[in-house]
Amino acid sequence: METRSQIHARTFVKVWTGFVVFALYLPILCGALAGLSKGRYFGFPIKVFSTEWWGKTIASLEIQTLVQNSLLIAFIVTLVSVFFAFFGALAFARYDWKGRRLFQKAILLPVFFPQPVLGLALLLWFNAIGINPSWQTAVIAHLVWIVPVVTLVIAIQVYSFDPTLEEAARDLGASRWFILKEITLPILWPGIWSGALFAFLLSWGNFPLSLYTAGVDSTIPKWLYSKMVAGYSPMVPALGTMSTLSAATLLLAGGLVIMILRRRQRDL
Amino acid sequence: MGIAMISPAVNDTETDGEAAARPKALPVLQLVDVRKVFGDFAAVDGINVDIREGEFVTIVGPSGSGKTTLLRMLAGMEAPTSGYITLRGTLINDVPADKRPTCLVFQSLALFPHKTVGENIEFPLKVREVPAAERKRRALEFMRMVRLPDHYYAKNVMRCSGGEKQRVALARAFAYDPDVLFFDEPLSALDYKLKKVLEKELKDLHRESGKTFVYITHSLEEAMVMSDRVGVMSRGRLVQIGTPEEIYTKPATRFVAEFFGEVNSFPVRRTADGGWTQADGGPIVVAPAGDDIGEAATVIVRPETMRFVTGPSSADNLISGRIYNEYSLGSRMLYQVHAGERIYLVEVARAAAGGLVAGDTVTIGWDARDAILVGD
Repeated sequence: METRSQIHARTFVKVWTGFVVFALYLPILCGALAGLSKGRYFGFPIKVFSTEWWGKTIASLEIQTLVQNSLLIAFIVTLVSVFFAFFGALAFARYDWKGRRLFQKAILLPVFFPQPVLGLALLLWFNAIGINPSWQTAVIAHLVWIVPVVTLVIAIQVYSFDPTLEEAARDLGASRWFILKEITLPILWPGIWSGALFAFLLSWGNFPLSLYTAGVDSTIPKWLYSKMVAGYSPMVPALGTMSTLSAATLLLAGGLVIMILRRRQRDL
Repeated sequence: MGIAMISPAVNDTETDGEAAARPKALPVLQLVDVRKVFGDFAAVDGINVDIREGEFVTIVGPSGSGKTTLLRMLAGMEAPTSGYITLRGTLINDVPADKRPTCLVFQSLALFPHKTVGENIEFPLKVREVPAAERKRRALEFMRMVRLPDHYYAKNVMRCSGGEKQRVALARAFAYDPDVLFFDEPLSALDYKLKKVLEKELKDLHRESGKTFVYITHSLEEAMVMSDRVGVMSRGRLVQIGTPEEIYTKPATRFVAEFFGEVNSFPVRRTADGGWTQADGGPIVVAPAGDDIGEAATVIVRPETMRFVTGPSSADNLISGRIYNEYSLGSRMLYQVHAGERIYLVEVARAAAGGLVAGDTVTIGWDARDAILVGD
């Protein structure tokens, strides 16, 4: 039997959850609806709905270039950051070495640095050494911010890794490379996987760093911003919605893969 | 493997199968003055021991006595600060774990959680690039050896029970086909009943395989049940090593004697006529002293060698006192007896106790041969 206060508490939790979900998703929903408006200008309530601007967005060559840029940057950032972050996470959480504590603090610094300032600083730095900003420099800028984040994500998994497993494998005759391939990587795989998802999504949605460091090349967030400042059309919310939906799909797919892996392991 | 030979006379190069047929007297592992120092703390402080082929040697000691450090040096996970460790006459001080024909069963077992039972056991075979079909055939053989059913081959190792995990870890160690197996108290986390079963199985397995086992534990009881020889460690040193019988009947020090549990101990002095007297004056008849005993020593009398006497007795030592409390140990009874300033512990069979209870006046007797002189 539930007591009165338990019923009250449960009702409160439900109402609060509903409110938070509503407050979080309502603006996104409004944005999504704005992309389905037939009208040229942003206005509420929407009088006539149409998929016209979605069609135009998909057909636009400019936007295809944007998507290509954003995808390319995000892919490279994901690969490079996971590589560095994996070894960084081992240094962060697995091995005890001189200077480890300093490393643990230093790696947090870029994360706390305001991104627009970081972007500007990097731009100045690129100029100083005579590099023209382009999508390649944006990759570097993204990495400065994303590698530490991914390092932390993977480090969480590394903390729960039992180092005696590597010791046992070694004792059974395995070489370093064999241990990495057969023991360390497979066990840390969920952490690496979530690190990769993080890297991709953080790069995909990053605006402040791209604004300063991508030069003449544009990315989706950069284009959205410039069109909102000048030259708005419902293509802006339409592209925003598509971007959000694809990111969400990626997340769900990632979650699904992990779930299937876990289940397969459990069922053995 | 680039290992220096320091004593070619003992070295031989036969193959694995012949191990069991070899004379038992040859030392497979030799430790000479082995020390391991961390900072200014000597975790292992000069160990000398020969471990013979096919022996089951157990090192016991309280936590912090250095037994785990010793084992890690034997397994190649730590290098000794000084001294020599030789395996079949080959110096192995700096040979890493993966290049030694030895295998350690960890306290945590260190089973690979993402692999099945079969994959865990096959791991050392996979390292040696044995083909998959052959690996499976041999894994199943090892599973049968440790009494795991065949259908466990594809089972997730984390879904096995504590006892099953022990068996997987054992099978995996055997799959490596080591010359010496090391055990870092792998049974410590199990419940008493299962522990007893696995102790017996481990001893059977030792007999059947003919391999050399070196086991460490903090439980002397575990050591006594399984081992050919028991070594007792304290503060980085090997205080005594001998058969379980020797350790029990002739403890070298009070520390070794007390490792079995509570004992009666009396400080004693040598008298002018070569006998012994208790430090507080009472006479005592003791077993003949060894050469290493000086003018002052401690007499150890185990509670189970004391008995209650009524009427005339042949006991060499007799003391009267009053029972303070009694404790039931199941088939046996333990009595705490106060006599003068002293407290005696007497353990007798329940039937022999005759229903003695607290407050009863009793006479305790024990024989000279059970009063063991030890140095301090």
